[in-house]
Amino acid sequence: MLRVKNVSMTYQKGKKEALKDVSLTINEGEFTALLGQNGAGKSTLINILAGNVKKTAGTVEIGGFDLDRNELETKKIIGIVPQDTGYDFVFTIDEALKKQSGYFGIQNNRDTIDELLEALYLTEKRSARLRDLSGGMRRRFLIAKALVHRPKILILDEPTAGVDIEMRHTLYEFLVKLHESGTTIVLTTHYLEEAEKLCNRIVIIDGGKLIADEPKTDLMETFSQEAIIEVHFEQSLTRSDFEFLGAYDPEITEDNRLLLRAPKKELSKVFKMLSEKEMAFTNLVVEKPKLEEIYLRLIKQ
Amino acid sequence: MNKLFYNRIGFLALLNREIHRFMKVPVQTVLAPLISNILYMMIFGGMLSTREVGINGINYLHFLVPGLATMGAILAAFQNPAFSIISQKFQNTIQDLNSYPISNTEKILAYILGGVFRGVLVGLLTYAATIFFVGYEVAYPLFFVLALMATSFVFASVGLIAGLAFENFEKMNFILSIVITPLTYLGGVFFEVSKLPGLLSAIKYINPIFPLVNVSRFAYVGVCEGNITIHLILTLVLVLVTFLMAAYFFKKGLGIKTV
Repeated sequence: MLRVKNVSMTYQKGKKEALKDVSLTINEGEFTALLGQNGAGKSTLINILAGNVKKTAGTVEIGGFDLDRNELETKKIIGIVPQDTGYDFVFTIDEALKKQSGYFGIQNNRDTIDELLEALYLTEKRSARLRDLSGGMRRRFLIAKALVHRPKILILDEPTAGVDIEMRHTLYEFLVKLHESGTTIVLTTHYLEEAEKLCNRIVIIDGGKLIADEPKTDLMETFSQEAIIEVHFEQSLTRSDFEFLGAYDPEITEDNRLLLRAPKKELSKVFKMLSEKEMAFTNLVVEKPKLEEIYLRLIKQ
Repeated sequence: MNKLFYNRIGFLALLNREIHRFMKVPVQTVLAPLISNILYMMIFGGMLSTREVGINGINYLHFLVPGLATMGAILAAFQNPAFSIISQKFQNTIQDLNSYPISNTEKILAYILGGVFRGVLVGLLTYAATIFFVGYEVAYPLFFVLALMATSFVFASVGLIAGLAFENFEKMNFILSIVITPLTYLGGVFFEVSKLPGLLSAIKYINPIFPLVNVSRFAYVGVCEGNITIHLILTLVLVLVTFLMAAYFFKKGLGIKTV
């Protein structure tokens, strides 16, 4: 569905490399999280797909069409929800969505517009001017705008940034339904629990390079041999109390809480070492590493 | 490869947007220039109609009408695409333009024709308003409309280039008040350029507005300053050159793409 091959992008006459030889294939029906720190290259990649940025090397294929040779055909296949909530001051939601349909060659798109407004809780606001909407409503409007031509691939660039929790969950439900209806989705986000909850594929970019590209289950499985142990003690802790656990990366997270990372097969050894220390603890939690943990480990590596 | 014409509905939707956008605020976009032109007509027309200005044998008010209509068309046609593109930069929606499956030629034409529509509308409304002062006679009515269209096309193309090149309204207004408005005043809107003193009269040879005003004047009163055939040829050259320049900068992605 989407194939990026050896794509590079350099700014400022070759001085700054935003993407370095990135190759990536996204298959039909996948829900992919594109993760990375600010400035990692995620938005550059999205901007290349959108036609806002010209790549300096490599090829991009969208829905079987080459971006360089059949650019206009590729536009019909993707819908892009930009990071910025820019909007046209003068038009109403209804007018803007009708015009957006027209740009994509669709003359009468009433049913789709009605359906999207309903699904995104914007029906009552359809006659409101865009400048009169709240930030959350504008985010939902941008999603509706990206979907009026029913694209096969939807790319969302941090769609939940600055959105309250309730609205974030409304958007999650909408995206899950959209994915179930067959739309391929690429999501960039800084909320890793969002990526963990929604996506079935994880791609991580760091410093313009692809450092991970795996199905979520495989990635989680790779790190599943490890356990995160959180111990709550009765008294306050100092680093010197846990020098004997140095091999397990001890970290005091709060005044009396200790975080350890250990291979599962060594759990009993860790518990034995802790009990020998004769420090009373009130709670002990053993968890599998979360995506956030894995992400940070990969970025550090 | 980008096809020349690819998406007729998309082109019409973009053209509709360009017209709808200025029609949403008619007081600023149509009424304000119209009132300015009526005031020019009343003040300059009233003050100068008894003096020897304009072309010999032509009543000064008749001399003034095509000049004002052309000036109104020039400013309105320039502002429409320039303001539209800079607004989109200001609103952070300019990148949307790159996501539409509409060819570059269609996009350029939509912006330019939006400007042409506004220019011709202001030009014709100016003419309509002057009927009260001078009557409705026009020597060649269809030619007059075509002259306003050609003038608007030239300046809508220039406005499109300005919109692509400039990041903010201040720079656009600078060009408007430092370049276009003086050229308009020196292009024969209010008086015969050849009657200007010394070197100023030679400006007509490099002022692109001079032939445009004279084509409109010929269409309106049947006479003009200089040779109408040369003015017509120059007008067609200006239409072609400004369009090709706008197309070149648009295709290069000036102001709308990161290269």
